[in-house]
Amino acid sequence: MFCILAFIALSIISIFSASHRELAKEAYDCVFRRLTFRPCTTGFKEKMKAKLVGRLLNRSAVAAKLLNKHFELLSWILFLTTVASIFWTGKGLFNFYMYGSCNGLNKSGFCALDPKGENNKVSQTGGSCGTGEGDESKVTLNGVNLDLFPSENIGAKDEVVLIGCYSCDYTRKAYPLVKKLISDNTVNYTFAHYPVKEETLYLLPIGYCAYKQDPDKFWQLNDKLFSSEKSDIARKEFVDTLLKGIGYDIEAINTCSTSPETNSAVVERRIELEKTNIYGTPLVFINDKGLVGPKPYRVYERILKGWKFW
Amino acid sequence: MKQNIVDVVKIRQDFPLFEKGEIYFDNACQSLRPRQVIDAVNEYYNEYPACGGRSMHHLAEKVTYKCEEARTIIANFLHAKRKDEIIFTRNTTEGINLVAHSLGLKRGDVVITSDKEHNSNLIPWQVLKEKFGIEHKIIFSKVDSTFDLEAYQQALNNNVKLVSLGLTSNLDGVTIPAKKIIQLAHKAGALVLLDGAQAVPHHRIDVQDLDIDFLAFSGHKMLGPSGTGVLYGKYTLLDKLEPFMVGGDTVASSTYETHEFLPPPEKFEAGLQDYAGVIGLGAAVKYLSKIGFDFIEQQEQALNKYITEELKSITNLVIIGPNNPAQRGGIISFYIPGKDHHQIALMLDETAKIMVRSGQHCVHSWFQAKNIPGSVRASVYFYNTMEEAEMFVRELKKIVSIL
Repeated sequence: MFCILAFIALSIISIFSASHRELAKEAYDCVFRRLTFRPCTTGFKEKMKAKLVGRLLNRSAVAAKLLNKHFELLSWILFLTTVASIFWTGKGLFNFYMYGSCNGLNKSGFCALDPKGENNKVSQTGGSCGTGEGDESKVTLNGVNLDLFPSENIGAKDEVVLIGCYSCDYTRKAYPLVKKLISDNTVNYTFAHYPVKEETLYLLPIGYCAYKQDPDKFWQLNDKLFSSEKSDIARKEFVDTLLKGIGYDIEAINTCSTSPETNSAVVERRIELEKTNIYGTPLVFINDKGLVGPKPYRVYERILKGWKFW
Repeated sequence: MKQNIVDVVKIRQDFPLFEKGEIYFDNACQSLRPRQVIDAVNEYYNEYPACGGRSMHHLAEKVTYKCEEARTIIANFLHAKRKDEIIFTRNTTEGINLVAHSLGLKRGDVVITSDKEHNSNLIPWQVLKEKFGIEHKIIFSKVDSTFDLEAYQQALNNNVKLVSLGLTSNLDGVTIPAKKIIQLAHKAGALVLLDGAQAVPHHRIDVQDLDIDFLAFSGHKMLGPSGTGVLYGKYTLLDKLEPFMVGGDTVASSTYETHEFLPPPEKFEAGLQDYAGVIGLGAAVKYLSKIGFDFIEQQEQALNKYITEELKSITNLVIIGPNNPAQRGGIISFYIPGKDHHQIALMLDETAKIMVRSGQHCVHSWFQAKNIPGSVRASVYFYNTMEEAEMFVRELKKIVSIL
């Protein structure tokens, strides 16, 4: 057992240390012999055991005696922990590759490959930023009437839904990736504004009225809102300028956005979005699979295309 | 004894390895080299790195002169009749093989060896047995591991053509009664080849006094460079032997069909020689002669006596060979049933940089016959100190206590 353990450990060390490569080769030879049902004749285990016990003996005779006596048992324990460690490392790598997080889809624990948790961060609906502390497994589109929200390519086989906030940094990070995804692929794309900060609450009725007035121009407005400075889109005058620049009838939109009918439509949509169990933005659904936080592009594309690997 | 300690301290300054704090107790495998030997080797490479015995230029002449000087030094060291009785080889093994393959042994000829021979003095005879049908007789040692003269005498007869024995065993350090053995062999009409690998570095050997026919030994066990050795042979015998390896520098002349061999030793020294090694070996022999065998034997015996006494207190430890350390030269070979000899040796290295050998020491046959997995062999030389012996014993006891 020790040979296998040593082979694993020495192989990793050998990547960085040339002086350990010979030992790794010796360990490999031993492992290979064992795998081919031949005795290990190199004396590798004995050599390493003597070295380890000898080194320990200079510090503690008791510890050296214990190591010597239980060398095989300790080798087994270390082997099993090494295997477990390799398994979890592999799983972490796999998850990071597949979902942008070492912990799996919508799991926000620590990930060495994304130490700051950037791929899981959301602007929480309570208003503060965080790594998402809601129940990630419960996000769903079941029972959500997406017909209420701006959509394009209706009827396409695949579906992408972005629920985000114009002033949320993480939605702003995900937005260009989602845009690329929908421009590279024919999908039924739905956007829903879910403001997590007060300064963009006023954009809810404006967005509703803009889409109602001209659905095609709405997507231009959307792009401009995501590409403009957050401080700018918090000012109505700036947004008015944007609307005007795109060719909207500002007066009609202002009238529409203050009407009771719009107010109830906005509330209705907000209630509808709550059904997704959203707890932060961005929340991206790709064919019903919900992704909380901005993910790498490979993750979006892989899920959309149903690929096992990207 | 105090005088010796002072001498050893001075002597140790000649050996660069000791500056690193290593304790070298693997002298039966290979000794250390003093600066004088290293300098001699370096001098060859730096100042006259040419061919000997061939070219006429002054560098070549110097090489030839230096090599012949080394031959003379070694001949004098062994008290050989003439320097032409010294053949340079790579090691003891080559010397034994040279005799084995040059004697012209044939089916029915008997070669006698002992039960404690190094593979170098066992395998050649096994091969000749398989190839030519010679008979190989083994004289088993007495219970105390000394040579059984009685059994030997009984084995001698007219068919015995060669008695080939290790003069001092690398297994237990026991030296055989060579003079008596040779007398008996000669009386029976047999020649004697001695494996002097463990004897020549430690004891004064007078080839004329012992009347040795052939003596093979290695330079690297007696302060010389690695890959150097010597085969001594009586000139009259060497003259009759067919060379084992032939080619460049072994002939006076040749035609497309014929050749004329040079006289010994040249006819046995085929091809370009290890000039640096030969010159270094000459320097090593000079150094050894300066140290003197009285001191060497005294120092080794003192160390062996101390270590043997101390090892007696380790439970179950078995020393291979006679109980009396005086009969074991500088070798202390031991094992503890149930404890791994390799582990002990490796741990001595790890804990205190003490170099010993572990295993079957190329005497597999003896270990197989006794069903002993192997032993730890500490082999001391004149430059080892009592402090090192104390450290060795202390560390060994510490290691054994946790195994």
